[in-house]
Amino acid sequence: MNKKLFSLGFVMITSLSLALTGCGSGNNNNNASTATDEPAASAKPDNSGGNAAATTEPAAAGGADISGKITFLTNRTDMIGKEYDEYVKRFNEKYPNIKVEFEASQTDYNQQAKVRMASGELPDVMFIPTIPNSDLPKYFASLDDLGLNDQITFKDFKSYEGKLYGITTGNSTSGIVYNKKAFADAGITEVPKTWDEFLAASEKLKAKGIIPLASNFKDKWPLNNWVYDMPRIIEGKADFPNDKLNSDTPFTMDNGYGKALSLLRELNEKGYLEKDINSTNWEQSKKDIASGKFAMYFLGNWVINQVIDAGTTSDNVGFFPLPYDNSGKPAAALSPDFFYAVSKDSKNIDAAKAFVKWMIEESGYEDFAGFISPLKGKESKLPQLKEFQSTGVQMQEGTPDDAKVTEISNKAQIDIPAIAQEFVLAKDPQKVLDKWNKAWANAKKDLGY
Amino acid sequence: MFGTLSYNKQKMIIIISFLLIPLLLLATFTYYPALKLIYYSFTNWDGYSPEKPWVGLDNYREVFSNPDIFKVFVHNFAYFVMGVVQNIVAIYFAVVLNSKLRGRNGFRIMLFLPYIMNGVAVAFMFGYVFDTTNGSLNLFLNNIGLTSLAQTSWLGTEGLVNYSLASTGFWRFMGYNMVIYIASLQAIPRDIYEAAKIDGAGSFQTLWRVTLPNMKAVIQLNLFLTVTGALEVFDLPFVLTKGGPAGASQTYVQRVVETAFAYNNYGLASAMSIILLFFVVIVLLLQQLVLSRGGDK
Repeated sequence: MNKKLFSLGFVMITSLSLALTGCGSGNNNNNASTATDEPAASAKPDNSGGNAAATTEPAAAGGADISGKITFLTNRTDMIGKEYDEYVKRFNEKYPNIKVEFEASQTDYNQQAKVRMASGELPDVMFIPTIPNSDLPKYFASLDDLGLNDQITFKDFKSYEGKLYGITTGNSTSGIVYNKKAFADAGITEVPKTWDEFLAASEKLKAKGIIPLASNFKDKWPLNNWVYDMPRIIEGKADFPNDKLNSDTPFTMDNGYGKALSLLRELNEKGYLEKDINSTNWEQSKKDIASGKFAMYFLGNWVINQVIDAGTTSDNVGFFPLPYDNSGKPAAALSPDFFYAVSKDSKNIDAAKAFVKWMIEESGYEDFAGFISPLKGKESKLPQLKEFQSTGVQMQEGTPDDAKVTEISNKAQIDIPAIAQEFVLAKDPQKVLDKWNKAWANAKKDLGY
Repeated sequence: MFGTLSYNKQKMIIIISFLLIPLLLLATFTYYPALKLIYYSFTNWDGYSPEKPWVGLDNYREVFSNPDIFKVFVHNFAYFVMGVVQNIVAIYFAVVLNSKLRGRNGFRIMLFLPYIMNGVAVAFMFGYVFDTTNGSLNLFLNNIGLTSLAQTSWLGTEGLVNYSLASTGFWRFMGYNMVIYIASLQAIPRDIYEAAKIDGAGSFQTLWRVTLPNMKAVIQLNLFLTVTGALEVFDLPFVLTKGGPAGASQTYVQRVVETAFAYNNYGLASAMSIILLFFVVIVLLLQQLVLSRGGDK
């Protein structure tokens, strides 16, 4: 029996460690088809502190002086061998002695980057994963000497103690991406400006047999804009997500969270979302929006190019701010995507910095990816973003999350998109809010905030 | 140079040198991570920073003071039920395919093939099968006239979702269990069957009194695999439902992974893993206790 027990333990440790190592790889393989589409804009930003310091010119400005080989770990695996090759060609015209190599990330960039951080083997240029800003100086070099400080948006987002560590690769906003032909077929002549008009338009689409809004509810991340953008827009307060810190009941029916989630719930109750919201297919939904089987997405502008690629023309895709109430005053959230960063231990820091600067100023990546430029006031070449701006929408630049809020959320295991799912499916949504308020309050108390 | 050593010493040297590499691999990739896991479970590590603050038993206290964490084991129960059914069906197919049957190797391969496929690929595939509006399962039900059943949301109905997911596991692992059973069937000496035949035993009696008792050790092994599999299921719900609808298909391991990587609480997640380890030990001890009551052979 003893021997048996021993061998039993043996088998178990083996199988458990297999299971655990399996987790890692499972994570990496699973959502293979969705991962590269998922924007980092949805990732919760971390805290920051202080302003970036005065700017100085880059250490070595002359293109040919800088040399070396750099590696760039990118999530856009689809661009390797295509657009990136073209970028490098143009980059090398200016900096002939820098050799740029691209490393394709696994599908979960954030997690992979963190593992690399733990092992101390960072690529020269990478994106910043979700870590507190106080950890930034441990891994990344300051980018203040790029001379971009007064031109870039979201300058304070990845700064710590006055030093700039990350520059946004592009900014997104969220709104309704729609198929113009589907709208025309349903007899909708102009884009809705109030919530009532929006519901009326949805009704017309539904009557025509078109599914009004593709929520991709099951995949959870497509709900991010409902819960990270909408509440602060409804409240008209960029810092609203951080107000949670002062409350034991951050999720109530009459604040931004409850109101935003209720909008989604109302759409579902009226049958304006997919027939079965628990069985949705992200890849297919892009094709269906392109073909007009579905009419709308409520997502970031990054999706516009993907819809066009899925089989329609650019002039068939439109973009307008979601009218969340009946005031008729459009507002939308501006959020940064991934942030470029240069590894502190890079052997060719100057080359890496030159590359980052070039990517921001000259690559045209933001137009390819469908972003609003990371540089202030640079107009987008994309017609959809022009249409969006022409509604007179007020853009609200987001603020970084308070580290304490993130800490409490993690401790309470609060994942707001998951709360949105529960809220929409629950018979009594108030109970869902109560449950998470309680979790919040407990975690807040445990941490002593 | 080895000629001067005694035979026993030579033998030892050969055995050790042959085993060195596999043992090293085992130690590096199994025991070292396992020990690390135990160490992390006593820390408050966030998963990436160099500091790993020691917190003693705090993580364990937190797990046991949160009943929500253990509620998810209810979801694992579906996998256990399907696992038991899977074993019964596997024994059935093993007995059938062990008899003289035309094309039995073809059938064996067909039933075994799903096991070879990658788990994530299988999960993806079944995503298309279970899709409510365009899925092949509902399309099929519709075509054979069961139109009301064809509206079922297989992955969106609380209470059904775990069985839908577990049936995928059934499809995948049944062949594997079957192959193990076939192997054990072939190890049963023919003369016992002959003796039974002479004594006038029917085919059911042969199965019940000769075949099954002879397979007891293997059935135990397969049950062990089923129980651990049910407790540790992860890939299917992770890929297909992300734990939805509203957490109805979340499993324990999924929760561990979320705690570690989504909520940056590696220490707590490690403690949860260690607790799962002990859970498996307890369940297995119970199984041993129940199944070996008839006395060891």
